[in-house]
Amino acid sequence: MIKKFSVTLLLIVFGLPIFGQDLDSLMNLNAYTEESDLQKILNKNVAVSTQKLTTRETPGIISLITAEEIRNSGARDMIDVLRMVPGFEVMQDLQFVMGLGLRGSWANEGKVLVMLDGQPFNELLFQTVALGNRFPVDAIERIEIIRGPGSAIYGGSAEYGVINIITKAAESLDGVVVYGTGGFHSGAVGRTNGGVMVAQKGDEFSWDFSLFGGKGIVSDQRHADEIYGYPEMDLANETNADPMNVNLGLKYKQLTFRAMYDQFKTSDPILFISNKNFYADLQYEWKINDKWQVTPHLKYYNQQPWTYGTKDESPDFKARATRMLSQVDALYTISRKASVTFGALYFQDEATDLLDDGYFGGAQSMTLNNFAVFAQGLFKHRLANATIGFRYEKSNRYDGAFVPRLALTKKIENFHFKVLYSQAFRAPSLQNINLAKTGSVNPERSNVFELELGYQFTPEMLLAVNAFSINTKDILVYSSEGVDDDFVEWYENEEKSGSQGLEVVYSIRKKNWYAHVTYSFSRAIRDNTVAVYEVPQTSNQYIGFPMSKVTLNTNFNITSKLTFNPTFIYASKRFAYTTLDDDENPVCTELDPYVLANAFLNYSNLFPGLTIGVGAYDIFNAKPAIPQAYLGDYAPIPGRSREYVVKLSYQLNFKK
Amino acid sequence: MKSMSRIKIYLLVFISLVAASAHAQTTNYQVYALFVVNIAKYSSWPTTGAEMDIVVFGKSKVFDELMKQNGKVVNGRTIKVRQVENITEVGQPHVLYVADGKSGAIDEVMKSTEGKPVLIIGEREGLFKKGAGFSFVVMDNSTLRYDINSTELEKRQIKVSKNLSALANSTI
Repeated sequence: MIKKFSVTLLLIVFGLPIFGQDLDSLMNLNAYTEESDLQKILNKNVAVSTQKLTTRETPGIISLITAEEIRNSGARDMIDVLRMVPGFEVMQDLQFVMGLGLRGSWANEGKVLVMLDGQPFNELLFQTVALGNRFPVDAIERIEIIRGPGSAIYGGSAEYGVINIITKAAESLDGVVVYGTGGFHSGAVGRTNGGVMVAQKGDEFSWDFSLFGGKGIVSDQRHADEIYGYPEMDLANETNADPMNVNLGLKYKQLTFRAMYDQFKTSDPILFISNKNFYADLQYEWKINDKWQVTPHLKYYNQQPWTYGTKDESPDFKARATRMLSQVDALYTISRKASVTFGALYFQDEATDLLDDGYFGGAQSMTLNNFAVFAQGLFKHRLANATIGFRYEKSNRYDGAFVPRLALTKKIENFHFKVLYSQAFRAPSLQNINLAKTGSVNPERSNVFELELGYQFTPEMLLAVNAFSINTKDILVYSSEGVDDDFVEWYENEEKSGSQGLEVVYSIRKKNWYAHVTYSFSRAIRDNTVAVYEVPQTSNQYIGFPMSKVTLNTNFNITSKLTFNPTFIYASKRFAYTTLDDDENPVCTELDPYVLANAFLNYSNLFPGLTIGVGAYDIFNAKPAIPQAYLGDYAPIPGRSREYVVKLSYQLNFKK
Repeated sequence: MKSMSRIKIYLLVFISLVAASAHAQTTNYQVYALFVVNIAKYSSWPTTGAEMDIVVFGKSKVFDELMKQNGKVVNGRTIKVRQVENITEVGQPHVLYVADGKSGAIDEVMKSTEGKPVLIIGEREGLFKKGAGFSFVVMDNSTLRYDINSTELEKRQIKVSKNLSALANSTI
């Protein structure tokens, strides 16, 4: 708004004789040329960086996904969204539960922090985040992703990355939205999801309430798994992926409260799995003066993660995990050019066996007490912005972890650079400690180097290239063997794993169309010691990961209301354990490269506020399988077939 | 032969991109030039004359923008803009605009204009602390402002209007 005003003012000012000017009017003029649509996105301050820096200067490799991009692409779930982001892969953990891989490495357990309106979705027992038909993609305002470590600020679940999902209700909505999605395969209903959001924004008091629910399947294929041991079944009938999310936010002046209940019920052909998470989060942004802002937080989580058992029988595992967390952080603005964020927190995690089996080392419960201090300074100089930070975290159950962070970033006219060095760690979770093979585990630690160079060729066109090197020591690895009564699972610190690679992002945004092209390449480190990640065919890739991925997301505004959005994903060959040999040993096979082609038509304001979209996902029926990310007794989940998607949403804004 | 044509195509694409980049300037020098003219307009010098001599020391796109004001009249003086690369060519202009790339030469600028009624404007933030009468500063909301070194201006017998001083980001 300021920029538009500036341009108008400039035209007036230069159009008049220089005598006739009002000096005050000069004070509104912008030092930069008018932002293009692309620049408007790039120049927005990124909340996930915790400091007021734009995408191109934030000390992290950033991806931003807007509500407009999600709506135009017709994304069915977070899997569709994250597949378009460089470096991200969706893999199977176990029991048909899907999780994240990042930059060539398995990252589901405590390595990528996923937050929805500030609430962490990494459950407390294992620190995993189950993906699939789960997150309310049509309710999302924007997604901010750090494709790199965030431990210094975000702690022990953000070793490889951070995903910050912000909903429309919490951010911008002042009205009511009702939305629904239907997904249809040739022989099965893929999903039926729906939700409602209501939010009212006031100067002093604001509130928002969202409800999301649905039913879905994991795959529509017929499949038999020799490794896991089930005969051919119709997975459309045997699997489910049913989400539910209730989200309430209240804000009075600087006091904010958010409560959320999230439930995700899924299944493989034999077992049911459920995750139930409740969050309550109270914080007060106390602006003492222009220099100081102090924010105390109180958080309480109550969860039942990974409850599982044979279908129609009592669960084999059912535990409650709670966290009580208190935190104080402060922002001290030394000057316009320097600021420091620092804070301290304490939390207690408690796990309780709800089956009275003495699951936690013979006891019914176990606790974990943890404290952390952190600080990060930002110093802006005309040549570079320097970020220096650290975090120290200590628990009663494992050795302390100290992780420093250094970053130099700067945007100089059209060019920007980022030089980043971070140490990061993954804090052992309740189950990591409970299932420790040797009786105890240590935090795993990563050394991460990143370099990004970017150039804006025109206001509508940006090219950014980054290279990374990740070395993780004392990596916490899950393993299991046996079945039924002989089933044993454990965690232990393996010596080393990691990856190296590069990512390229090219974005162009014109008045009537935009396109994002990305390329990502990753290679396993030479001296990886984690045998369950390796494949016999090559030492360059870990199980399930392609070395190269190319994505293309294009959108054409056919009219002011009608958009056409084709997307393409190419992934190079992968390896996965798919069957057993004659001696009943798992056999690793090569999976062919695949191309996923999708197209979506979206018509906005068919009637005022009503938007309708139709499209097809996986037009070529490539059905890319979803391999297990480690050698762990599961063949790949067969990929779903072509899915026709219909979306409807209706928005009514409140009158001002 | 094929590879030669391919190289030519790559070269052509590269040149096109570089050429395109020349039009992608994000700093709005038009606004900088407007500030320079207004600073001159709301200042007065002990000397008299028919011309308002503005010199841009070093390479800056602000020169191109100031040239658009060349020949216009401010407070009865005709604006005359020129650009120099060498400190010896500066002379004694009314306004000396020190381009960002010449900020390191501020000491030489101060020496060669010492005691003279030359209003020095620094393109780089903070230059007012090193003797420039004005230097630009880009605020957090991206608006352009200026800092003033009133002590230095007094030494040079340059008076600035109260309105101009009042709108400074900071004054020393």
